[in-house]
Amino acid sequence: MALAAGLACKKPEEAPVAPPTPPPVTTTTTDAGPTQTKPADTTSTVSTVNIAEMQRAASLVLKDINFDFNLSDIREADKPKLQAIADFMRKYPTSKVLVEGHCDERGTVEYNLSLGERRATAAQRYLVGLGVSESRVNTISYGKEKPKVLGSNDESWFVNRRGEFKLQ
Amino acid sequence: MTRIWIAGLCAVALFPLTAGTGVQQPKPQVPPQKTQVEVELETKKGGRLGLAIAPPALAGLGEDLVAKDFKAPLNRDLEEAGPFALITGVVPGSTDAASYPAWARLATDWLLASKVEKGAGDEVSVEIQVVDVKAGKPVFSKRYIGRDSQLRRIAHTISDDLVARLTGEKGVASTRVIFVRQTAPGVKEIFQVDRDGAGLLQLTRWGSLTLSPTVAPDGRLAYITYKGGTPEIWGERKRGQAHSKLYPTTVSPQGHCYSPIWSPDGKRIAFVQGDRRGNSDIMILDVDSGRVKRLTDGGCINTEPSWNPNGTQVAFTSDREGGPQVYLMEEDGSNVRRLTFEGNYNASASWSPNGAMVAYVSRFEGKFDLFVHKLGEGKAYQITTGIFSSEGPAWSPDERRLVFASTRSGNMQLWTTDLSGKSLSKLTELTGCQSPRWTRSR
Repeated sequence: MALAAGLACKKPEEAPVAPPTPPPVTTTTTDAGPTQTKPADTTSTVSTVNIAEMQRAASLVLKDINFDFNLSDIREADKPKLQAIADFMRKYPTSKVLVEGHCDERGTVEYNLSLGERRATAAQRYLVGLGVSESRVNTISYGKEKPKVLGSNDESWFVNRRGEFKLQ
Repeated sequence: MTRIWIAGLCAVALFPLTAGTGVQQPKPQVPPQKTQVEVELETKKGGRLGLAIAPPALAGLGEDLVAKDFKAPLNRDLEEAGPFALITGVVPGSTDAASYPAWARLATDWLLASKVEKGAGDEVSVEIQVVDVKAGKPVFSKRYIGRDSQLRRIAHTISDDLVARLTGEKGVASTRVIFVRQTAPGVKEIFQVDRDGAGLLQLTRWGSLTLSPTVAPDGRLAYITYKGGTPEIWGERKRGQAHSKLYPTTVSPQGHCYSPIWSPDGKRIAFVQGDRRGNSDIMILDVDSGRVKRLTDGGCINTEPSWNPNGTQVAFTSDREGGPQVYLMEEDGSNVRRLTFEGNYNASASWSPNGAMVAYVSRFEGKFDLFVHKLGEGKAYQITTGIFSSEGPAWSPDERRLVFASTRSGNMQLWTTDLSGKSLSKLTELTGCQSPRWTRSR
């Protein structure tokens, strides 16, 4: 018989994801940024002038990341995508992103909603670890309710176990 | 307390009823020469009560209407109820006392005679009389009045009353199933359907993702909807009132909400709330005051709460020890103990209406099957088998069946099964269905 004492949540609190190479938070690196005289305090100008450009840039970097079955760990292969999103958000300081957590069809409706929460939050925390302010990354879970593709095979399941990023 | 959930036991329940009416067991005089046919008929009944339904006498109503909206549903209800074996075939043309021996020779115990009569306007009345043909005594009689559009409903009520007369507990023919159905890509709404698949009714029209319906004992609906952008608990504060937001009660974000379920007293809602670290916890909302208390504490996924019938305990799913498993706890969050140990994905617990069983799903080879854990025995029984997935079980109010969503016909559809797993039937032809709840109160 399992004892109650043994039943406390064993999972370590997901240690704030420590990205391998925390990028500088300041905007002193100017290689890719727009040439500005005042690098940090031009948010209003940037937002009014460059909405179209921001949307264009967003569409290039907001790519789905994927997860392994029943897991919410950020895969090595997806870390560059998250880095690109963090870079984009640094370049456009007014940008806000919504992370949607999704699951494949193979779990229960309710459990997958919680799993999607965990996936969205994992992506959010990774971005925060890369220097993005938490208030600029919102999360939502759709569980298995909004599959990207139909089909009951490994390929479809992989595509559906995803984090999707939307510019807000 | 006798729970009649195996059809064969029902004959036992008949004796107290017969005794209660003061009827002597008919004394067989000379051992009657039972014909081969009679013996076969008795065997076919398998311990169930032989019920013959005489063709209804009609007054002022069309034969077709009565056949479709009264005879057919009544036959089906009584057939599916469990404790009756319907007597069919060539039957006596009369239902008067002189015909009782002829009915009895067909293995009839009870004979149901009915009169369906048109009243003023669109009113109809249905009068039924049930006699024990062997004892020659009336067993049950009642008059039902409604509109002609309610004939089907009247048939369901008659079936439930006869089951109650025989077993002491009402049947479930007049119950309904609430469920979620996809109406467009990314849009799901709550629907309701009668237990026989008729009477489909759409209960929400938010045009967005709407999930996880739950029905209070007085029929009040609650559910999750994403209509405001994030998942919130909406529903009826008063029966029949326009739906309003039940939680979160403030504008400041309190975490996303999932999986609401009314407490048996209809005052509280257990639900799931996500936190900033991506974990999920079981909470209890006092609906009137808006106060919330937390039952589980962080660090993992805790979801899918299900109350026991007196509201003192909650079954739930947690991955606190690795994969999802079913646990039980007191309603204050104490005394957590694990219920499932076989397999690495057990979830969707549903506590039975009388508290002795917990249904759940277990994942094996890529699909789910239904299981029922009998708390008294500490043992689980597999209900469904095969290559198809069976998900989201909910109990019938009489505990004889489970309703669930399954891919066994290709698309996700609603099915019911008895606890042997042998008597499966499709509830509706609708596709894209999930999360059924079975209720008497709507």
